Amino acid sequence: MSAGDEVIRAADARLSEAAATRTACAPVRELIGAEDQDAAYAVQSLGIERRIAEGRRLVGRKIGLTSPAVQAQFGVHSPDYGVLLDDMVVADREPMPLDRFLQPRVEAEVAFVLGRDLDSPTTHVADVLRATEFVLPAIEVVDSRIADWSIRIADTIADNASSGAVVLGTVPRKLDGLDLAAMGMRLDTDGDPVSTGAGSACLGSPVIAVAWLARAVARHGRPLRAGEIVLSGALGPMVAATPGVFHARLDGLGEVRADFLAPLDETEAAA
Amino acid sequence: MTAASAFAAALDQAQRTVSPISQLAGDAPIGLDRAYATQHALIARRLGRGERAVGVKLGFTSRAKAVQMGVDDVIIGTLTDAMRIEDGSVFDPSGAIHARVEPELAFLLGAELDAASAGDPMAAVAGVAPALELIDSRFRDFRFSLDDVVADNASAAGFVIGPWTSPAALGDGLDNRAVTLEFDGRQTAIGSTGAILGDPRRALTAAARLAAAHGFALRAGTVLLAGAATAALPVPAHGLVEASVTGLGRVSVRIGTKEESA
Repeated sequence: MSAGDEVIRAADARLSEAAATRTACAPVRELIGAEDQDAAYAVQSLGIERRIAEGRRLVGRKIGLTSPAVQAQFGVHSPDYGVLLDDMVVADREPMPLDRFLQPRVEAEVAFVLGRDLDSPTTHVADVLRATEFVLPAIEVVDSRIADWSIRIADTIADNASSGAVVLGTVPRKLDGLDLAAMGMRLDTDGDPVSTGAGSACLGSPVIAVAWLARAVARHGRPLRAGEIVLSGALGPMVAATPGVFHARLDGLGEVRADFLAPLDETEAAA
Repeated sequence: MTAASAFAAALDQAQRTVSPISQLAGDAPIGLDRAYATQHALIARRLGRGERAVGVKLGFTSRAKAVQMGVDDVIIGTLTDAMRIEDGSVFDPSGAIHARVEPELAFLLGAELDAASAGDPMAAVAGVAPALELIDSRFRDFRFSLDDVVADNASAAGFVIGPWTSPAALGDGLDNRAVTLEFDGRQTAIGSTGAILGDPRRALTAAARLAAAHGFALRAGTVLLAGAATAALPVPAHGLVEASVTGLGRVSVRIGTKEESA
């Protein structure tokens, strides 16, 4: 590792303070380097270990940077990943106060729920298909602790892949007979699409993204286990979260709604 | 010569000589009525040279496209037989100023679509197909006002229609089918039919409204290009451009000169 333990701890402290005070911070690349992914994952791990020590539970993972356009924007050639903790999971229609987040954005995705371990560094798509117990439509709320989303690759990895929350649909589907690559995606507010896409926007297919993740985390020593939720990556452009309901429809898979509540003081001001 | 026929002559010349022109009226907008009058005059010139009107196209049916081009209403243009490219055959970009391509959905009208049938527009539809549209603004740098692009026949340059599916065989819904655009087998744009007015069937209602307002006929046999499902991309110099729509199949056009493809 090129960055020393001291800067790793300093970067983690900056991000954890930003989360605790809900005040976005300066980029941590100033500390660990803009391109140092090893140092960035070390910062991420430190943050996750701390939250687990505080009583949180690991319930899954998320994959980021799954579209070639976004990878190009970050100057990388592969996705990145983060950890889902129990307090990040929300269900269909469950209201979320917007001020729980700093600068939230939403994107529609496929969530995989694993029926068995995927712990091999050589995991391939057939392994993923066999290990998936069911899939769910999901809306990911991404968020950044870095001010103005001014992030480079090391910033987002260190910040747990810019995770915020995940809203899960409640009707499971088996993968059998589902062509996830050919699945249309639309995310609507008030009946108007604000983001549209398709399954193939995620590395060719969400199944391929999960296989990539399984290999990556097995190599990094925290392999995927049975029961974990894997958020596989965006199927279309992300959009800013605003008060109201975001309705995601994944053709053939189902639908899920994220309901954001205006911050309380704004509600009072309007009353 | 009226202003509309002068504008039409300038646009016709720009298309035939593959030379872009400046926007029609600088600061003073020419107005939507005169813009459609210009388009009709432009099409009349083409019909006078032996072309046949075979359909209509809608423009700016997606929010992304409207934002990309800085306009805020749906527009209608005319398709002639000279713009039709057979599925799998060749489009020569040297005949265009700065062509772009976009994946679309096409409807074939089996009956006249007018204000009266607009309540149940799918009843007038005989087929639905994946389509590719080649657009080419005759204006320099693809910069134009809403009036300009209406006068310029909604930037129409070419269209390719894939296999028709009858409405009875469509299956569930048309408003969230995956749409992809591929260059030589690599996906370059990905979207959903939901990007077309929220539901492509609304293109039929919009076409009926625009046709009645601006003097277009939507008779049986008309092809209607419903609008793009993704942003338009510059046409590559060579290679195969393909679009697919889940459940409707694929459509392709080869980009190059006719000689090198033969």
